[in-house]
Amino acid sequence: MEIIVCIKRVPETADADIVIDKTGRDIEREGLVFDINEWDNYAVEEAILLKEKYGGSVTVISLGPEEANETLRKALAMGAYKAIRLTDPAFQDSDGYAIARILSRAIGPLPYDLILTGVQTEDDGYGQVGPTLAEILQIPHASIVNKIEAIENGRARVHRELEGGLDEVVDLELPAVLTIQSGINEPRYVSIMGIRRVAKIEIKVLDLHELSMKPDEAGEPGSMTVVERVFFPPTGEGAQILEGTADEIADKVISILKEKGGVA
Amino acid sequence: MSGEKDAFLQKHDLYGCFQCGKCTGGCPVSLKSDLNIRRLMIEVLLRDNLGPIVRGEDIWDCTTCKTCTLRCPRGLEPMNLLIGLRTLLVEEGHIPKTLIDALESAYKYGNPWNAAKNKRSDWAHELALKVLPQGDQAANLYFVCCTAAYDTRLQNVARCLVHCLRQIEYDFATLGDEEICCGSEIRRMGEEGLFEILMHGNIESFKKYDIRSIVTTSPHCYNTIKNDYAADGLEVRHYTQVLAEAIGKKNPFSGEIKKVITYHDPCFLGKQNRIFDEPRDILKNIPGVTLVDFDRSRENSLCCEGGGGRMWVEASGQGPRLAETRIQDAVEMGAEILATACPFCLLTFEDAVKTTGNEERLRVMDITEILDEALCE
Repeated sequence: MEIIVCIKRVPETADADIVIDKTGRDIEREGLVFDINEWDNYAVEEAILLKEKYGGSVTVISLGPEEANETLRKALAMGAYKAIRLTDPAFQDSDGYAIARILSRAIGPLPYDLILTGVQTEDDGYGQVGPTLAEILQIPHASIVNKIEAIENGRARVHRELEGGLDEVVDLELPAVLTIQSGINEPRYVSIMGIRRVAKIEIKVLDLHELSMKPDEAGEPGSMTVVERVFFPPTGEGAQILEGTADEIADKVISILKEKGGVA
Repeated sequence: MSGEKDAFLQKHDLYGCFQCGKCTGGCPVSLKSDLNIRRLMIEVLLRDNLGPIVRGEDIWDCTTCKTCTLRCPRGLEPMNLLIGLRTLLVEEGHIPKTLIDALESAYKYGNPWNAAKNKRSDWAHELALKVLPQGDQAANLYFVCCTAAYDTRLQNVARCLVHCLRQIEYDFATLGDEEICCGSEIRRMGEEGLFEILMHGNIESFKKYDIRSIVTTSPHCYNTIKNDYAADGLEVRHYTQVLAEAIGKKNPFSGEIKKVITYHDPCFLGKQNRIFDEPRDILKNIPGVTLVDFDRSRENSLCCEGGGGRMWVEASGQGPRLAETRIQDAVEMGAEILATACPFCLLTFEDAVKTTGNEERLRVMDITEILDEALCE
């Protein structure tokens, strides 16, 4: 079985001090730590598990600058066989639709039975690339997949995670796109030695021209949405930031909770 | 995992083992875990495939206290065999999630605590320390340690140590936010490649700022920089050595502490580096202190279970934690303060004081904190 996984290198922003850049449409990347998008990590692991079970090979594709090679190498170290990086100045400011189109041009000529993406990315969070990619390739898709139950006779039976703890089981024809939910597996650790072992594997790089694309098919001209601005939500009423040592803060929390009737 | 076998036999000299069992006999975690290091020595030798041996959960129980290696009458190194087996698991990638988080954090942020790089020197905010990357100069580097830099409890130890070092007029600076993890625990978790990256990063910093002399908060940093890095022309000392030497010349700590104190020898300071007397000398020099020793002290000190990556993974065994046993022993001896000189010991003991309900009876303190009180009074 031939599996393609689309992955992205994203900044880790959970504990970082975020600064909005000069354009007002993005954040400063300087000083941030980058890693594979969390959902994509689960997607790569799932692809490797499927390969181990059903045979075949895994190809990873990432759209991004040279630094994205680091993320591709991590996937190679996990067990992917081939890596492709898509890069061109014209790809800048692509929305989910344009990214799906660029990916589709790279994937189109390749053999594949299954395409995996993460449910969404940690940075842009569109959650559109997987389903849009399926539409462009005119193949079925299932989103928020938290279990791949079986793959047999050219079909896949997968579980989708719904609200309220509900699972939906869907059966779809291959090839198909699945967007993978976090928690579907336990992604393996990638050791430094593992990364070193794949350091010499060539990463194929394709640009706009090599993908037979026109400039107006990518970036802002090729997108359906344009980011106007990003901003921090204004501080709401009623919030109180406590300061001091851990002990002092704990004391203040307790006295506030007592005062407000939270604890007896 | 069969290809590695020959390399293992050679590297760890397994044919030299005559199965006397002193390693397992001395192993502190064998009291409560199925981990049996003597059995591992022979199984690696006899089995064709190492996979089933290493995939047991108990491989993560070892605290790398090194008792097995230190007691081996044949001079073999069972602890390194165990770490080598962990390396196989790390290479395979199937290790506990909490260890993956610690390792990935050490790679990305330079510390195993998932804390931001630019918050590393927050603990020293109002101390006006000299910082080498800011252009300051000093005769010695104070290597703070990730745990002392980020853990809110341990930050107090770092601050107290700064007070003490200033009191003895010791000239030092830190690397500020440029300090990265020493890699001690990373190596002992079996991630040798990452350890090398961290080691080279630190050695580069030492060269860049022309550092010849280092003092550490943690016995783990001390041990790894001194023995694992083994860099030429670098003098590495644990703070207890620096303070004991200064106190020997002229005791600046005059305040009285009328308490019964017992001292716990951290494995990485005591049995692994034979620094037994310096911490005791410091405590004995504080007026009013009555120092009592554990039955199991010095070379026989009972491990707190904080080393070897165990700060990031729970042991498989049942029964009381060794730290809880230690706390009970201290209380029975009539100690009012349990002193130690290691960040991991401090954290494991403070937890154990709470879980055994001894918060009213026993205080757990780092030696620097006791000295700081002696300074203030």
